[in-house]
Amino acid sequence: MFRSIDDVIRRLGEQKYICNKNVATVVYLACAMQKPVLVEGPAGVGKTELGKVLANSLGLELIRLQCYEGLDEGKALYEWEYAKQLLYTQILKDKVGEILQGSQSLKQAVDRIAKEDDVFFSEKFLLPRPLLRALVAEKSTVLLVDEVDKSDTEFEAFLLEVLSDFQISVPEIGTLRAKHLPLVILTSNNSREMSDALKRRCLHLYLDFPEPQREMEIIKLKVPGVGEKLVEEVAYLLQRLRKLDLKKKPSISETLDWVKALTLLNMKRLDDQLVQETLSTLMKYEGDIRKAEEELKRYLADRKTKLHAAAVESDKDLLH
Amino acid sequence: MNDQIVEFSNLLRRNGIRVSPSENMEALRALELVGVGDPHGFRTALRATLVKRFADMRLFEELFELFFLGFGKAVAESDRRLMAQLGLNPKEFQEWLEQVRSLLEHRKDHLSPIARALLAGDMGQVERLLREAAATEDGEAVERRVSVGVYSHRVAVAIQIDRVEQETADFLAWAESRGAAPEILERLARYLDERLKALSQLLRELAEQELRKSSQTPPGRERLEYLMQKSFSYYTAEDIRRMNEVVTQLARRFKNLLSLRRKKADRGRFDVKDTLRKNLQYGGVPFEIQLDRRKREKPQVIVLCDISDSVLNASRFMLQFVYSLQELYSKVRSFVFVSEVGEVTQLFEENEIQTAVEMALKGEVIDVYCHSNFGRAFDMFYREHFSAVTSKTTFLVIGDGRNNYNSPNDWVLKEIQQKAKQLIWLNPESRLTWGFGDSEMARYVPHCDFVEECRNIEQLYKVIDRIAA
Repeated sequence: MFRSIDDVIRRLGEQKYICNKNVATVVYLACAMQKPVLVEGPAGVGKTELGKVLANSLGLELIRLQCYEGLDEGKALYEWEYAKQLLYTQILKDKVGEILQGSQSLKQAVDRIAKEDDVFFSEKFLLPRPLLRALVAEKSTVLLVDEVDKSDTEFEAFLLEVLSDFQISVPEIGTLRAKHLPLVILTSNNSREMSDALKRRCLHLYLDFPEPQREMEIIKLKVPGVGEKLVEEVAYLLQRLRKLDLKKKPSISETLDWVKALTLLNMKRLDDQLVQETLSTLMKYEGDIRKAEEELKRYLADRKTKLHAAAVESDKDLLH
Repeated sequence: MNDQIVEFSNLLRRNGIRVSPSENMEALRALELVGVGDPHGFRTALRATLVKRFADMRLFEELFELFFLGFGKAVAESDRRLMAQLGLNPKEFQEWLEQVRSLLEHRKDHLSPIARALLAGDMGQVERLLREAAATEDGEAVERRVSVGVYSHRVAVAIQIDRVEQETADFLAWAESRGAAPEILERLARYLDERLKALSQLLRELAEQELRKSSQTPPGRERLEYLMQKSFSYYTAEDIRRMNEVVTQLARRFKNLLSLRRKKADRGRFDVKDTLRKNLQYGGVPFEIQLDRRKREKPQVIVLCDISDSVLNASRFMLQFVYSLQELYSKVRSFVFVSEVGEVTQLFEENEIQTAVEMALKGEVIDVYCHSNFGRAFDMFYREHFSAVTSKTTFLVIGDGRNNYNSPNDWVLKEIQQKAKQLIWLNPESRLTWGFGDSEMARYVPHCDFVEECRNIEQLYKVIDRIAA
């Protein structure tokens, strides 16, 4: 586990995940208090990534449960492995015969077999789905419940039970209690408001687009060999783009793709032609691309005047 | 510390952020872990444990500053101004403060505690003294919602501000009598003057904070029940703000009703895969037939809501309801009209509930400053959006049917009824007045599957059962 908030920043940094103090504090608290974290924020700011990186940096197994509409307990929790049960009964036919040997009546036979039925409804024949796997794991795990807002309210209520007590009751076996409490990360894109009850049980973390400084760090980390000047310009331009009224704002992952494209094309600075041609890696909607193009023009014009002003400044310096 | 956190959560609650006792305990636990020494961690710990909705985030930041940072900002501001006025840099200013303090030491018998703290620049002490004075004064003044001016005046009297002023003047006179250099004296005069100004500013700040802290009272249970039966047209601004909670409940009920019915349904297509799987436990003999019920019929709702002045409160409420519906379902399309029709689906998707509803009502989409004209609106809807109506659509019209004697165009409703699954009309007017004056209800009713008077939330509850059916 993490020793301090700075320790979180450092160790996530080792996994190439740059986070600010906010994120680190919440992560630290979640580990120390053993509470689930509900991470909200726009798409593509690294919510899911946070879960993965946490697992890596703590050296724990990552168990991921992707939520969708119609996800039910059978797919999230456990199922009986009927095929296996059947197979075993077939194979063990003789053994069953032995047990039944000498029984006088049908009733006696049933009683005898009933004594043994634990064998067939034991954990051996339980097919654990992500939630159960996280609970019964021998070591502590990181349970990533992704896009929990996509699930139905019924599933949410069920999740609530699991998250508050970390135990599950299986009718045939009894209650299974978590051997080690998993570290739970829930992510949500806010397509619907989660219930208060669920939120009450979680710590809340809102991940937003990074500040330019941090974004520059991220780009440099993830795209090695990228030009200093280019990174600066990209980060600055993205700040401007995200302020526009877009259908989908460019996320970090898209930014990284874009920068990769630009470096492949051997760009040292943003220039008109190539940028326009590559904008489609950054924007996914026609209307957005158009808006971005306009903003780009404005940006380049601004840069020109600024450069010009700077040039005039330096000329003056020379004169003096 | 504990008391302070509890008090802070109370402040959050009063401002409409839900904080449960368990969250309160968690905040305390989190603080133990983070420690109170780290201001950033302190804030983050509180935010993560107490605030769970993005929409409340900004309010939290505001209240946090109000509650924990207190006068911090105002004090820094006043110091900066002082430095500028005296023409000193921070280091020189510190030296100057030292000088003043040593002078004050000589006169400490002639100064009240607050004057001494103020002149020495010990603003923390000043704040404590002010808060003490406010605490004794407090209570009923806040209850009666006095203005900032009145409140700050009261506290000023409590700390005897005239005495502070007198003592300050005496202090200056005394310094003069000691034969200080003229330029020092002048600087001292300006310094003292600025300090007094800062004091009155702090008083104001204090008043604003205290009044802000008690600005709202928590909504009680009775209050909600009372709201349920109150007619929309008598809603006050306060009621409207509180409606949020009711509306969410309502929408949830709507959704629950639907899923309840889904479970009871036992018809559907035979599902081969599921049946095989399920019957593995019987050795592959199909005992239990599985039916494919996955394709749940999502209600496709189209709402056409009158937002003219005559039904303003009702439509505000209805829009909130529609907003919540939209959050729960993907297939809701919302339109508003007075005379022309405008779609607000996207507006609702992109904005927070209160803003969205206000935007819709304030004419962001359509012109709201005209007379209502149902006929024209229907006609326009028919021409532009009729294709959105399908056989699965529940079509919901909300309005009083007062058409200002325009052409009613009731044929549109007939078309809609024929195509849609059902057509429901909710009228926020009392049934007794339907058909009188310019009300065209008599013409519209025959084309609707279901018409209901809907003047308060209780009636709306009943309607919802019907819509979900």
